[in-house]
Amino acid sequence: MMKRFQGLYYAFVYFFLYLPIVVLVVNAVNSNRYGLKWDGFTLKWFSAMLQNDGLMEAAGNSMLIAVSSATLVTALGGISAVVLYLYRFRGRKIISGLLMIMMMIPDIILAIAMLVLFILMGVPLGFWSLLLAHITFCLPFSVVTVMSRLQGLDPSLLDAARDLGASESQTMKRVVFPLLRPALFGSWLLCFTLSVDDVIVSSFVTGPSFDVLPLKIFSMVKVGVKPEVNALAAVFILGSILLVILSQFLTKEQQK
Amino acid sequence: MRINYRNTTISLVVGWMAVFSGIPLLLLLGVSFLQPDQQRYFLFNFSLTAYQDLLDPGYFQVFLRSMYYAATTTCICLVVGYPFAWFTSRIAKKYRIVVLVLLMIPFWTNSLIRTYAVRLLLGTKGLVNNTLLALGLIDAPIRMMYTDFAVVLGLVYLMLPFMILPLYANMEKFDHRLVEAARDLGSTGLTTFRKIIFPLTLPGILAGCIMVFVPAMGLFYVAFLLGGAKKNLIGNLIQQKFLISQNWPLGAAMSVVLIVMMILMLGCYGLILKRFSTAGRG
Amino acid sequence: MKKLWMAGLFTWLVFLLPVCGFSSDKVYVYNWTEYIPDSVIQQFTEETGIKVIYTTYDSNETMYAKLKLIEGDGYDLVFPSTYFVARMKNEGMLQPLNYNLLPNASALDKHLLNKAYDPENKYSVPYMWGSTGIAVNTDVISPDKVTSWKDLWNPEFKGQLLLQDDMREVFHMALRILGYSSNSRNPEEIKDAYLLLQKLMPNVLLFNSDSPRLPYMAGEVNVGMIWNGEAWMAQEENDNIVYIYPKEGANFWVDSFVIPAQAKNVENAHAFINFMLRPDIAKICVEENGYATPVTTALPLLDEEVRESKTVFPDGATIDAGEFQTDVGEALEIYQGYWEKLRSGL
Repeated sequence: MMKRFQGLYYAFVYFFLYLPIVVLVVNAVNSNRYGLKWDGFTLKWFSAMLQNDGLMEAAGNSMLIAVSSATLVTALGGISAVVLYLYRFRGRKIISGLLMIMMMIPDIILAIAMLVLFILMGVPLGFWSLLLAHITFCLPFSVVTVMSRLQGLDPSLLDAARDLGASESQTMKRVVFPLLRPALFGSWLLCFTLSVDDVIVSSFVTGPSFDVLPLKIFSMVKVGVKPEVNALAAVFILGSILLVILSQFLTKEQQK
Repeated sequence: MRINYRNTTISLVVGWMAVFSGIPLLLLLGVSFLQPDQQRYFLFNFSLTAYQDLLDPGYFQVFLRSMYYAATTTCICLVVGYPFAWFTSRIAKKYRIVVLVLLMIPFWTNSLIRTYAVRLLLGTKGLVNNTLLALGLIDAPIRMMYTDFAVVLGLVYLMLPFMILPLYANMEKFDHRLVEAARDLGSTGLTTFRKIIFPLTLPGILAGCIMVFVPAMGLFYVAFLLGGAKKNLIGNLIQQKFLISQNWPLGAAMSVVLIVMMILMLGCYGLILKRFSTAGRG
Repeated sequence: MKKLWMAGLFTWLVFLLPVCGFSSDKVYVYNWTEYIPDSVIQQFTEETGIKVIYTTYDSNETMYAKLKLIEGDGYDLVFPSTYFVARMKNEGMLQPLNYNLLPNASALDKHLLNKAYDPENKYSVPYMWGSTGIAVNTDVISPDKVTSWKDLWNPEFKGQLLLQDDMREVFHMALRILGYSSNSRNPEEIKDAYLLLQKLMPNVLLFNSDSPRLPYMAGEVNVGMIWNGEAWMAQEENDNIVYIYPKEGANFWVDSFVIPAQAKNVENAHAFINFMLRPDIAKICVEENGYATPVTTALPLLDEEVRESKTVFPDGATIDAGEFQTDVGEALEIYQGYWEKLRSGL
């Protein structure tokens, strides 16, 4: 009885989560421009998407920003988490408080605060301002991910390393870093997703010379009939499924 | 020269946080105490104008409306997510990962595109209406787009994983033998839930609620796309203050109030957790 | 492992190069949503080799705010409506046009030139002009029921209307109903209009000025405001969506090309304007967008159906009954205050 209810419940939630996505994917291969009824299979929207230079350029820019910021933020976040976990120094409490606030702050406020900062510092709005902003808003999420892994570590491992005469940097390289690898990987993926998905912060801190995908999508979604959006969504969904399989594969590999 | 690992990393972290998190927030706080000016955004005079303006009942309305959307979304996410997380924490380990990955896949698709997908479903000529019409359950299409229902549904759709994941993280550690013990001792299902399951999963509930409530307060583009941009929400009001009416101090003051509210919420969460952990030990 | 890292770093750098590199032949165009057909932009690039970086906005206010904020690092060409041309010009945000680079400007309709917002058209050249009126889906609502702005206040339409997300256009309705000029600077009159609009709010279903035709086409909305061009585009899909010039007079506007003071690719911007003023190009724009063009030489090229359409080209009487938007100066702040109140539900 309970089993059946449980199965139904899962079915209900997944139905809710996947129905809109299925509709998008179906419309991506539907000849009918407005997706109101099925007019036969087509791939023309995919070629239309590929020929849309603005869209492709924005996609390239987004990938660049996401890869750069995810990589840098994971490095910085990893270091921050280790520092906050291992060392006691003045300002440590403030830093962790600040990180919590940064995580909880609504995007719009962060976006405006960053914008004010960039204007005052004279940073031109474009690639670099966007990169700095993305690193900043991803940082707390990266720290939290790595921190949760650190808290699960056995502290005696570090003591052992020290007793065996390892220097601080050796301990980091040989002991802490390998143990943190899954968490760093998780942090990278999370930050990549956050960065690719961000609309609000990007819309404030980037300039006309550097358009990114979410903004492009926003202007397309508002207009709402271009089936290229559906094609793009389908690519996104396939991409995330591939990413999931890849990440499963990689973590499996690591466990061996 | 030998680089001191410890000091380098500490100063890197502190420096970064100070420049890119500390200073912007302080700037915002500072601007909120300046005098508004149409042409140059603000004048360098100390002034409480922004905070006085904030007392306008209109802003209170906007604030309440945003709270209402966020709170409704949080409640629905909790009601839907709680059983989901609970069931997931009880099934065999090898299936759990499948369940969670399936939960995450939609989450990796751009949120705007997902909002757009919801729009395709809810339209007058959308899938839901067409299905209901075909089944003969309704005679005329139901209006769903541009209503509160659409906004809340869209928000729940986007935020559900944020509720389930913290709940699951908490429930994973739950010792299910406690439930069996309670049952053996003759406790009914409801009492078991009230006395054992609920208190022990409370930290997860709170974490999930915060994870959903806070972003839901800020996600104004969902209300924009699904709700028809009829009424302002706190997010786009702040945006308007900065961009359209060029009143930076007022926009900054609103942001400050919102941040203070978030800090208070975090504080309460911390307090409850503390009480909870001491109570658990005692 | 090392090799993998190197490969990753290399790819990253290759991606980064175009960001840092300077490429010369570009023009940054910032325009209203769906205001230039994609094919026209492509043709421009093919003919001149100048790449168009195209971004869009949905209201004059948004465009103005963005331009003001990022002064110095920005766009080469924008399309403000008349009253924003005046405002931006007065604030020194625009640069004078070089008519030597705009030979096609000689064919412009004299009726639309040399207006108060920009005497002698030193800073602006009109791109298109059109009107804001009422759209009705005759499948659902009889067009006899809606002939004036006032009819939108009909309680029957509770929760059904679409309004433009544009302050001046929404205030135009109320000001005209009250018998005032829609360019009123009188605080009392504006307040009266606000009080009247308050009563309209329960009838409103949504605000949209990105592409107002879509809710009509999707069947979400059957009556409300619309731009004539959007109505024209909607009619291509659904004949039953008709465009009505309200009795109190429609709102007429002109959108112009202007070049921001700090634009970097000034010559390319001129080339783009000149291209857009070519008769064959203006013809495409009219037929795709459904707005009227000031390029007189384009008119004979137009399809009979377009030229005869009252939706696209209203007759003289209709134009006289309506009112052209002009600059309202400082009063804009008053409008803004009330507009925000309306949108906050007060």
